[in-house]
Amino acid sequence: MWSELRDLTDAIDVGTPPRSGEMVSLTIDGQPVRVPRGSSVMLAAAKAGCGIPKLCATDSLEPFGSCRLCLVEVEGMRGYPASCTTLVAEGMTVRTESEVLSRIRKGVLELYLSDFPAGDIPDGWSEFHRALEQCGVDTHPYGDGTDHQQAPVDESNPYFLFDQAKCIVCNRCVRACEEIQGTFALTISGRGFDSKISAGQDQPFFESDCVSCGACVQTCPTQALVEKSLFPEGYARA
Amino acid sequence: MNALHEPLPPGPVNDPVLSMERLLGMANQIGDFFAPYPPARRAEGIRNHLRTYWDPRMREALLAYIDGGGSGLAEHVLQGALLLRDSEPKKGYYGPPKA
Amino acid sequence: MPNPIKPDCSVVTTCAYCGVGCNFKAETHEGRIVRMIPWKDGKANHGHSCIKGRFAFDYYNHPDRIRKPMIRDSIDEVWHEVTWEQAFEFAARRFRRIQTRYGRRAIGAVSSSRCTNEEIFLVQKLARAVFGNNNIDNCARICHSPTQFGLSATVGWGAASQHFDSILQADVIMVVGANPTEGHPVFGSLLKRRVRQGARLIVIDPRQTETVRSPHVAADVHLALRPGTNVAVLDSIAHVVVREKLYNEEFVRARCEWEEFEHWAELVGSDRYAPELIGPQAGLDPEDIRHAARLYASGPNSAIYYGLGVTEHSQGSTGVMCLGNLSLACGMLGREGVGVNPLRGQGNVQGGSCLGSWPHVFSGYRFVTDDEVRGSFEAEWGVTLDAEPGLRLPNMFDAALTGHFRGMFIMGEDPVQSDPNQDHTIAAMREMECVVVQDLFLNETAKYAHVFLPGSSSLEKDGTFTGAERRVNRVRKVVEPLAGLQDWEIVVKLMNAMGYPAHYDHAGQILDEIARLSPAYKGLSFELLDRVGSAQWPVDENAPEGTEVLHRERFPRANGRGTFMLTEYVPTRERATDQHPLLLTTGRILSQYNVGTQTRRTANSRWHSEDVLEVSAEDAAARGIKDGDVVWLSSRFGATQLRARLSRRVNPGTVYTTFHHAETRVNVVTSDLSDWATNCPEYKVTAVEVSLVKPAGVEAAGRGEARHEPAVSTGEPVSGREEAHA
Repeated sequence: MWSELRDLTDAIDVGTPPRSGEMVSLTIDGQPVRVPRGSSVMLAAAKAGCGIPKLCATDSLEPFGSCRLCLVEVEGMRGYPASCTTLVAEGMTVRTESEVLSRIRKGVLELYLSDFPAGDIPDGWSEFHRALEQCGVDTHPYGDGTDHQQAPVDESNPYFLFDQAKCIVCNRCVRACEEIQGTFALTISGRGFDSKISAGQDQPFFESDCVSCGACVQTCPTQALVEKSLFPEGYARA
Repeated sequence: MNALHEPLPPGPVNDPVLSMERLLGMANQIGDFFAPYPPARRAEGIRNHLRTYWDPRMREALLAYIDGGGSGLAEHVLQGALLLRDSEPKKGYYGPPKA
Repeated sequence: MPNPIKPDCSVVTTCAYCGVGCNFKAETHEGRIVRMIPWKDGKANHGHSCIKGRFAFDYYNHPDRIRKPMIRDSIDEVWHEVTWEQAFEFAARRFRRIQTRYGRRAIGAVSSSRCTNEEIFLVQKLARAVFGNNNIDNCARICHSPTQFGLSATVGWGAASQHFDSILQADVIMVVGANPTEGHPVFGSLLKRRVRQGARLIVIDPRQTETVRSPHVAADVHLALRPGTNVAVLDSIAHVVVREKLYNEEFVRARCEWEEFEHWAELVGSDRYAPELIGPQAGLDPEDIRHAARLYASGPNSAIYYGLGVTEHSQGSTGVMCLGNLSLACGMLGREGVGVNPLRGQGNVQGGSCLGSWPHVFSGYRFVTDDEVRGSFEAEWGVTLDAEPGLRLPNMFDAALTGHFRGMFIMGEDPVQSDPNQDHTIAAMREMECVVVQDLFLNETAKYAHVFLPGSSSLEKDGTFTGAERRVNRVRKVVEPLAGLQDWEIVVKLMNAMGYPAHYDHAGQILDEIARLSPAYKGLSFELLDRVGSAQWPVDENAPEGTEVLHRERFPRANGRGTFMLTEYVPTRERATDQHPLLLTTGRILSQYNVGTQTRRTANSRWHSEDVLEVSAEDAAARGIKDGDVVWLSSRFGATQLRARLSRRVNPGTVYTTFHHAETRVNVVTSDLSDWATNCPEYKVTAVEVSLVKPAGVEAAGRGEARHEPAVSTGEPVSGREEAHA
């Protein structure tokens, strides 16, 4: 119970909440590493220095497994499990890099890119941009299709805004509002392609139960939720 | 030791530093707290509280009032306040003294 | 779409607002602060924040900021801008003149819990070493001074026994007279997290606060007691603990004074504190009282968190003692997951308490009457010090009205807005010959000031804050002080102008002096804090990096044991009468901070643009009041106007409001009654009546004294000032 908060540090985001308890030994990319039982493979990899690309995972929130970027290969396990939701086991052998994994991650990111404002890719500094860099992706092969690029921007809150065009529905904001703040103001409404983050009963943020604590802004990997103060000229779409 | 401060000039005489009504109210409130204690501890507790927490002018005003009759003051508060005149003032204390 | 600007520099510092003491990274871009992001390594907040610390920092740059010192001969004149030297010289001369004429004890000082430890220490040094008296107080007087008194009496120290994280080990959480979801939001979130994990929650509060019920969190017991019946109800809970033998005898025998326990058990065990008798008096179901008592005593880990709903009463100190007694009796001290924890409200109010900003103690809660302690300060400071306790803040005002008190140095406080019985306070201020206010903005108190020294916000200075969990945090300068001097530099220069040769190269040296003079801060230094981030006092050779949980082995009292105080219920003199049949209680809201000096100058006012009066539907109906009507709120002290809101959160008989806006003037209505031990005002119980002024849709008229504030003598109005309401 302690460790999930007390072991958090600014220096590194290990991907899933730190745990405490008896130690488990495993191997990641040939490197031995020991972490407490209950830790995720992603956390073990971070401790071993092999950072696995991630988007919906962050160590202040329980894992969710929606972005599909953190897939790894585990000896003896079929397919490509998500490292954030896979717990460590004694003697596990994990590979975080391979041709197949590279291809899968590239595919995932290209799909995200296809529904993201193109003009925003160069010079960006969000976690999403870092993930793109880490996986060597800067374009996508898809033509024009249905997307969310015309969705309205919610600027109702005086301090931050929500631009749905940048949202990858990773659910970090919803989880932050639940687990960290405890206000439960956000949810996903709609399903499939129509899924979107909504505050309250699909209201603007300011009119919902949102108490403007900023936890969602803090955790958003794409800066879909972002401080207005970072746009001195105001927020404008290309 | 650098004594920066001159002795006090005579202040307004016969004029309590707080209104008597306020002082009596405060004193009786203190008395209310110490009421459940046995008499000796009660009196000492009141004395210690006044000694530790009241500005000396407030204590003087209260004692002057008691000298003048002390009407309106609960009996045990009066007894406790009079202890202020006893010998060496004790070092301050938060609560009633140990038995 | 242009990308957001990327901050180029970041400084880890501590929030200026509440007592949680969240650490933030203040990020700047080309020298301007662009955002504050919570610091994950912050031991109080672990990367979380609330609307105030996170977003409401723009007040530091507000056009209302005063940037030049100002003086005036009388409060009816315009302000004149002057140089720092002229301002100090003017103040020094006036203070000394008052002392020559009326005596050494005719002036005093009030320090601020919004200022750093170093500054608070300097202000009490100003009063003691330079003024030569002990007339030094701080705003904890009006909030947690009973905590000081009551906890010191029972467990030895008037401070939270645990760190915030300790709540994650609690099985039962009892919240008394506090609303952490609004007042200590980051801690409130931690509390909710623990309750969602399965801990049980007891809330004792007249109102159904957000803490009682919020998504996925509901209190097991909510004792919605009548305002003013705290001690009766707490004694009744103790009654159940004693009569049903739920106390932890082993703990009491081993760690407490058994004889005192027996006296106390006899008192609370007596029939008059039975729930069947107290319940009806307090408006409660006796079964709920029994349930709360059994829940708390059974633990196994029960923690108490309490706030101003306990302290701001005429039996405030007694109420705190009840909590101390209860936790000792049930053995809920000295380990993780338990404890008695006052939720200190302001960023540095715990610091103010620790550093002797009181008329009767030096730093470390050691009495001014103690010759040995006084001697150590005299040796360090090089002057003889006054051996008698000084005046408390409310008594300073009383003494002003009798002519004995004539001058005041006020730093970062607004007594005219925040102290009770406002007319009394204003009358007292008018009697003074020299009021020096050091603040960021012209506040209500500045209307009665003769010298205004423009202070610096916590973004503009170096120092430390001590949060509610005794955690000493670093405050780091992010931008240069707008008026040119950091707050601590201003106090030093004033001391110099009055003839005392104080000098410090940087704020760290002040902390070093504090460490030399205060046992609990002995091991603290800027160097240690830079290395470990923060440390909870006591920091000394036994605990070089601080102490998380207190009272593990012994209680800091003479014999190392906790004791029990006799807490007889004495009803307040403030009673509901035919003329004033309702009871008013007050509280805070999340987006605004205390009297709103800072938060009203940010966008936070969009959430709470005015204080409203919460009235139950029954009371409103009986008075022909509808939701949104403007009403008179009147007591035997005064009256003011507010907008009424019908609410299910208050029981019939109780009304509730906040006090964040100066126009509301809630303190015109609050009484002059106060705690028996500390004079902490009884804000939480005032007999009032509520009556209709005008139906909704009409502007609230006649707000407060329409005092036209004269312009500064440069001929132009001071820029950006709000116009006085007509």
